[in-house]
Amino acid sequence: MRRRTFVGAVGGTATLGVAGCLTRDGNGNGNGGSGSDDGSDDPSTDDSAADGSDGESLSGTLEVVTYESMIDGENPAGPWLKDAFEDAHPDVELEWTLLPDGGINHYIQRAEQGAEIDPDVYLGLNIDDLVAVDDNLEDGGLFAELETDRVDRADRIRDGLDMGDPHGRVLAYDTGYISLVYDESEVDEPETFDDLTEPEYEDALLAQNAQTSAPGQAFLLWTIDAYGEDGYLDYWRDLQDNGVRILDDWSDSYYGAYMEEERPMVVSYSTDQVFAVAEGNDLTRHQVGFLNEQGYANPEGMAVFEATENAEVAYAFFDFVLSNEAQAEIAERNVQFPAVESEYVDLDDEFDEYAHVPPEAVTVGYDELRGTLDGWVDDWAREIASQ
Amino acid sequence: MSPAGRTVFVDRARDCLERRALWLTALATAAVLVAMLYLPVSIVFANAILADGAVTLEHFADVLTDPFYVGVLADVFADPLAIGTHLASLAGWLGAISLSISLEYPIPGTDVPIPWLAVETPGVRTGLFGFTAYQAALSTVASVALGLPAAYVLANYEFAGRRTLRSLTIVPFVLPGIMVAVGFYAMFGRAGTLNSILGVVGLGPFPFVETNPLAIVVLAHAFYNAPLVARITVAAWESVDRRAVETARSLGAGERRAFRDVVVPQLAPAILTGALLTFIFTFMTFPIVLALGGLGLATVEVWIYDRIQRLDYAEAATLAVLETILSLGLTYAYLRYESAQAGFSRAATDRPREALFPDLETMLSPKRLAIGAYGVVALVVFVGPMASLVVGSFTDGSGFTLRNYAFLLERQLDGASFQTRPLPAIRNSLLFGLATLLVAVPMGVVISVLTVRAGRSGTVVDTLAMLPLAVSGIVFGIGLLQGLVFGIALPGGWRLQITGAVAIVAAHAVAAYPFVTRNVSPLLSSLDPAMVESARALGASRYRALIDVELPLVASGIVAGAAFAFAISIGEFSSTVILASGSESYTMPVAVERYLGRRSGPAIAMGTLLLVVTAVSFVVIERVGGRYEL
Amino acid sequence: MTELRLEGVSKRYGDRDDGTTALCSVDLTVRDGEFFTLVGPSGCGKTTTLRTVAGFETPTEGTVSFDGESMTDVPPERRDVGVVFQSYALFPHMTVAENVGYGLQFRESTERKPTDERVDELLELVDLSGMGERSPDQLSGGQQQRVALARALAPEPDLLLLDEPMSALDARLRESLRLQLKRIQSALEITTVYVTHDQAEALAVSDRLAVMNRGRLEQVGTPQEIYHEPETRFVAEFVGDNNVFDGTVRATNDGRTTVAVGDATFELASPAVDGGALESAASADDRDRFGFCVRPDALSRDADRNRFDVTVETCEFLGESVRVHGRWNELPIVLRLSDVPDDVVTVGFDPDDAHVL
Repeated sequence: MRRRTFVGAVGGTATLGVAGCLTRDGNGNGNGGSGSDDGSDDPSTDDSAADGSDGESLSGTLEVVTYESMIDGENPAGPWLKDAFEDAHPDVELEWTLLPDGGINHYIQRAEQGAEIDPDVYLGLNIDDLVAVDDNLEDGGLFAELETDRVDRADRIRDGLDMGDPHGRVLAYDTGYISLVYDESEVDEPETFDDLTEPEYEDALLAQNAQTSAPGQAFLLWTIDAYGEDGYLDYWRDLQDNGVRILDDWSDSYYGAYMEEERPMVVSYSTDQVFAVAEGNDLTRHQVGFLNEQGYANPEGMAVFEATENAEVAYAFFDFVLSNEAQAEIAERNVQFPAVESEYVDLDDEFDEYAHVPPEAVTVGYDELRGTLDGWVDDWAREIASQ
Repeated sequence: MSPAGRTVFVDRARDCLERRALWLTALATAAVLVAMLYLPVSIVFANAILADGAVTLEHFADVLTDPFYVGVLADVFADPLAIGTHLASLAGWLGAISLSISLEYPIPGTDVPIPWLAVETPGVRTGLFGFTAYQAALSTVASVALGLPAAYVLANYEFAGRRTLRSLTIVPFVLPGIMVAVGFYAMFGRAGTLNSILGVVGLGPFPFVETNPLAIVVLAHAFYNAPLVARITVAAWESVDRRAVETARSLGAGERRAFRDVVVPQLAPAILTGALLTFIFTFMTFPIVLALGGLGLATVEVWIYDRIQRLDYAEAATLAVLETILSLGLTYAYLRYESAQAGFSRAATDRPREALFPDLETMLSPKRLAIGAYGVVALVVFVGPMASLVVGSFTDGSGFTLRNYAFLLERQLDGASFQTRPLPAIRNSLLFGLATLLVAVPMGVVISVLTVRAGRSGTVVDTLAMLPLAVSGIVFGIGLLQGLVFGIALPGGWRLQITGAVAIVAAHAVAAYPFVTRNVSPLLSSLDPAMVESARALGASRYRALIDVELPLVASGIVAGAAFAFAISIGEFSSTVILASGSESYTMPVAVERYLGRRSGPAIAMGTLLLVVTAVSFVVIERVGGRYEL
Repeated sequence: MTELRLEGVSKRYGDRDDGTTALCSVDLTVRDGEFFTLVGPSGCGKTTTLRTVAGFETPTEGTVSFDGESMTDVPPERRDVGVVFQSYALFPHMTVAENVGYGLQFRESTERKPTDERVDELLELVDLSGMGERSPDQLSGGQQQRVALARALAPEPDLLLLDEPMSALDARLRESLRLQLKRIQSALEITTVYVTHDQAEALAVSDRLAVMNRGRLEQVGTPQEIYHEPETRFVAEFVGDNNVFDGTVRATNDGRTTVAVGDATFELASPAVDGGALESAASADDRDRFGFCVRPDALSRDADRNRFDVTVETCEFLGESVRVHGRWNELPIVLRLSDVPDDVVTVGFDPDDAHVL
């Protein structure tokens, strides 16, 4: 599994030491073999998660890179997925790798520099990640085009969550919706984007920097969807005139400013009440508002790295992630919405009660983002930050 | 070999090693700097001058002629020779300034009229650089203003817990930015601690943060940096020769005059060091500005981060190079000044300290009341945010709770290998801190020794040695990622990679040694050079003279530098998170960041642990280190 | 013991040729066991010379050798020199005994006396017995100076180098320390190089001395030679009180030289003018610029030759004599008389007492 490494350590505790590591390129990802290669999982996949019962067992280690809250938050889905998947495939080991600080950029840069890419699967890919890949590497790079017929449950994925990748590299496994969260004791629910520029909502809204924050970027794209490429900056100028405050990221704006009652409205997630209830908070400050009766959907997808030699196990994993049980666990533990149609997943009533789905989901797709996203964000940020 | 022969051999070998120890240390320092600083940074900086493989200045031209970055100066850079035009626009601007006096009612809730002198200036477009410098200057002033009274009290008064308090001044320095932001909101927010307290006496709530976000950002910068100014100044204040003050008094100088003529000149280098460091730190501030102030107050570093995120390395590197040039220029100017100040006798004297709380009558004197007022301010600005964090870690929507700590405990006991556990984070932080101290102190000292008496060339080397302070942390991190984590391609398809614990310690040491140098150099330069020469004439090698004579005499500087090195290591985030990626080498700040999810509780609890561990370590370190001070 | 030799030693600071020259081709031999003094005004290069000998400075050109052995590549700690600085440079964090004993740990042979005994012995030598446990800052300046001396002597150096060791002390203390130093030096028979700007001190203690000016040696000789037979105008003016006259040679005959100074003429004994000077004085150029000097004690009211009137300006009472500062034809004149004179005093000198420069 490990690449051949030569570790030389010089020095001790008191003297300077540099532990280096020399690795040789092209020495293979020596992965312990990728199980069967006939690729035929039992087509009659039922709804139980632990299938893989066709007797032709997979083996090897599947390295999956994912974001923190999947594996390291409070009661995350990651550990459950690992255990359940390994139970279903006793000879397979699932190894979680925490997504490095740079996110997808880390792997884009690795690919650019010809450095090795260890993981087999990327769990938590966004549309703009794919855009970044294709803007910086060759089109359709980094991840392999999926043979969706090898993932039996792929057709359970809801319409509108296909993520629009022309190279078919990604399958959605859950989604979240960006919405407003507001304090009903201080403001009425704003109905439309235009409402936010009304005096009633002066100095009321907290948003996030679209340069650095995922919900911030989503909210910006939502306004672009609403006002168009030519109109969104005018809208933001109006928002600024009405005193919008754009903080660094979701934590600052939500835990810092919003929860200390600086302002009565914040750009956040439509699952807000699930957390508020768990935290024992009064729900008056946790009302979810959908502007224009919309929410901005941020589907999260899974993809397999081009360099993997474990495609077989990866496909089995994807199929497993889309199973009833896994979809429910991911939804409830991570507080995200399932990617599959509702008949393929059973959620707790409490989840249904507090996790709100917008009447209409909006997403700016791959084609529109491609080559334009950076410019949109940059124009916006210069508008806000201009001194 | 006979035992005697072996002894001779061992002696010879030791002798030989000792003789070269200084140069070996210098060489090792240079090697660490090349691998961990110059190489990574130049990998990124190279992007500023390269376009399609050819050297070019077009990136600089682009940035310097963009009013968004440099404001009104863009015209000047665009056409530097059109002096007439520039002067004309300057004159036009000056001509448009107007003065007016009016009655204003600036105190909210009261109608006390106050004559208000208003200076109306036509707006100047400062650009990102101008605004960044402006907020850094404000932050520097605030940090010095809040730090000096603390230094005065700590150096001149005796009270229970003075030493402990002095040790604790380092604590704000290690808090991750996000924790400071959360702490400030928890303290100054509309529902924050301060408003709750004011609410008890029927005041408020006041929208402190909303009213003037820039002021809050500046205050948060002071939260970080005023303790730094205070620490450096206390050390200098304690070494002001009491006899010099007494001499001035005996010559007829009043208390104030003696202070101005004798004490101030001796404090000035320390205060300026603190101010310089504060300015450089706050010039490159990130992410405090955005977390508290919002994108409207964006600084250059914010844009560097964004460019890096967008993989636009050319522009990021260009901005970072400009930042570094500015910082190093300031550093050079300061070091020229510092070397001109050399020659102060800095023998630490045992100062008699006045009791802070002698009796009630003295307590009511204006001086004591002023100190008391400062104490209240310090309580609000420094203790408030931290205390609010601690309180926050014990509360949730329904009041007091231990669930955040229960989460940490559970994670420690049952956490899977891919999850972040608190104890390894604490252990790593302490180990790395200690190791950083052990590496950074020799590095910093050797640079001090080599530069301190080397004249102008010494100043140049010393300036360049301050590079770690002057390089954007984001650029440094990306350089480490591209240089060391991805590995450097070597012939034959090999790659050299340096990651994990050793790399983290080396990166921390690189960030920390300038503090050792800055603490040691002034003391070293004030030592009588004849002292070393005497030792050498008596048979001591340069190394032995350093160990036997110079180091004991600058021990206070070394201990101060070591404390900073430890603090830098404990608080470092941006390079640690990159080098620790995929290993078990995560530290407390990294753990805080990783626990920060949709619930803030676990992260705040971890932040509280970070506070407590750091506080205890510093009290211990300075108690132990204090024994070696003269 | 050791003979010290400097050959063609030059020292320039700065990289370029126009950098300041601190030493210019100094040739010097200090004999074994000699008390040798370098004297000159500040900036003359005496301290640089001493530091070059100690190894703290590397000469730009030339060699320093001890007993014929070149010291060029020998670091200070291997030169076996003892150095005492003007500032004493005692280690403030060590006791007196630790200071004195510091150099003993680097002795190569282990057969010598234990450190404690040697330290006691040295403290006794400098009259500081029983002070070993004190801290240097508890001592007076003179005591500190003696600790510094004891420390320098402890490892039994081949060469003792003293850089203005007395300049921070008051006059009376200097005198007694000087005597003590001289006593110790002759008892130990250690080759000693002493640097001072005080010519009186230099004359008082030295076996031989060198007068330095602008990085060059002006004259090397015994105190008597330097005082009575200064070879250059600089030496004549720098060492002791002196009256220097510039004139034109009018005639040379009969062992007498007649020199015109302003509108007066003086008669000098030609033997005082050695052969070389006479020869050179023969050249027309030098005849026009002929210098000689007369010591104050040679100018007497009783002398019947070469008389001139001195306008008295100030008098200093020195006890056994009075030093009189006055002027003759705008030229400053120093006299040494037995009592305080009137406003104008007429003095003269014997032709044999004039020294030609």
